[in-house]
Amino acid sequence: MRRRASLILLACAVFFAALSPLMRWYAFPRLARIPANQYQDMVLEAKGATLLDYDHIRAKKVSKVTIVQTLKGNVEAAKKIEKTAGRPVVVWDSLSYVQGPDGKMVSRVPERYIFDAHSQDPVHATGETVDGDPVTRQGIEFKWPFLTQKRDYEYFDAQTRTTSPIHYKGTQTFRGLKVYYFEQTIPWTKVPMPKSMPVEGITPETVAKTGTTRWYSTVRKFWVEPVTGAPVYGEELHKEELRGGSLLGGRAKVTAFAGDVKMREDYIEHTVALVKHNRTLVLMLTSYVPWGSLTAGVLLLALALYLEARARRPEDPAPTETPEPEPVSV
Amino acid sequence: MRALIAATTGLALALALVLAMTAMGTPSGRTSPKPLLSTVPSHP
Repeated sequence: MRRRASLILLACAVFFAALSPLMRWYAFPRLARIPANQYQDMVLEAKGATLLDYDHIRAKKVSKVTIVQTLKGNVEAAKKIEKTAGRPVVVWDSLSYVQGPDGKMVSRVPERYIFDAHSQDPVHATGETVDGDPVTRQGIEFKWPFLTQKRDYEYFDAQTRTTSPIHYKGTQTFRGLKVYYFEQTIPWTKVPMPKSMPVEGITPETVAKTGTTRWYSTVRKFWVEPVTGAPVYGEELHKEELRGGSLLGGRAKVTAFAGDVKMREDYIEHTVALVKHNRTLVLMLTSYVPWGSLTAGVLLLALALYLEARARRPEDPAPTETPEPEPVSV
Repeated sequence: MRALIAATTGLALALALVLAMTAMGTPSGRTSPKPLLSTVPSHP
């Protein structure tokens, strides 16, 4: 009976011990993935910003500029690209919609971002665009990989259509979560005009004819939860200028936008709650199940060996009966 | 010999469980019918 129990315990011990590395190094890369059908919106605000008044081509202070960013997973496009890419792919169609204090559109920039569902490495396929312009992204955008490391990453900047390092600047605590702080500075760079302009009749082509160019500079800050790789908070010190050309009436430059863009409070709370939930799911695959099952495996093996040792121990010798003394006849 | 069979059974079960989990994978679902927003939502 003891030997049968020890064999069952041995089978269980091997089961749990094998489950540990299988879960961490086989299941985790296959199960921890960005869902192809994810839909997410985000509202950012720049209070007390400077914005270009297109009627008078002058910079003016406004109470608030709002940026609505939507990410929408395109499942059909992802399946199509997966067939040739040979790996799980996510296709995000995104829109950055900028709205002035009067509720009117300032700019709208659509993007298509294609990337590996687990590693977040960019995948190049037809349709990879920023504001209708084909691009070939290098590095990450919007999200960091699962199990983010304390190192610099290459980050794609949609305005300049270029990739440059985003630097790891330290570990902080943000609303009860341990986060890695990253910062990227994009120096003044000439960038294309947005395809959608806020005034009817003004197009990138008509502006180009005046010789006026658009320049942009930003300091991008992200606080990233390292287990999920999800930013829980972001800020951008964003500046845009129009420079030269007849549109400015002899002036060298005019500020088109300047503001400290921050996530809206209700979206911060929502993002932190979502990331805390997803963090637990990822930790199940990378930490809780692997370490738990390894511990269970070791304990069960010890118990199996103990029972086996007890079963093999020679039984106590049977008590020897002392014969009754027989009467001796003399 | 019986110990070897027990260990192999445990290993096979672990492999079967993990392979089944990864084979099922994560459901891709359908593209959301919600639009890309051009208005400011009142809440997340």
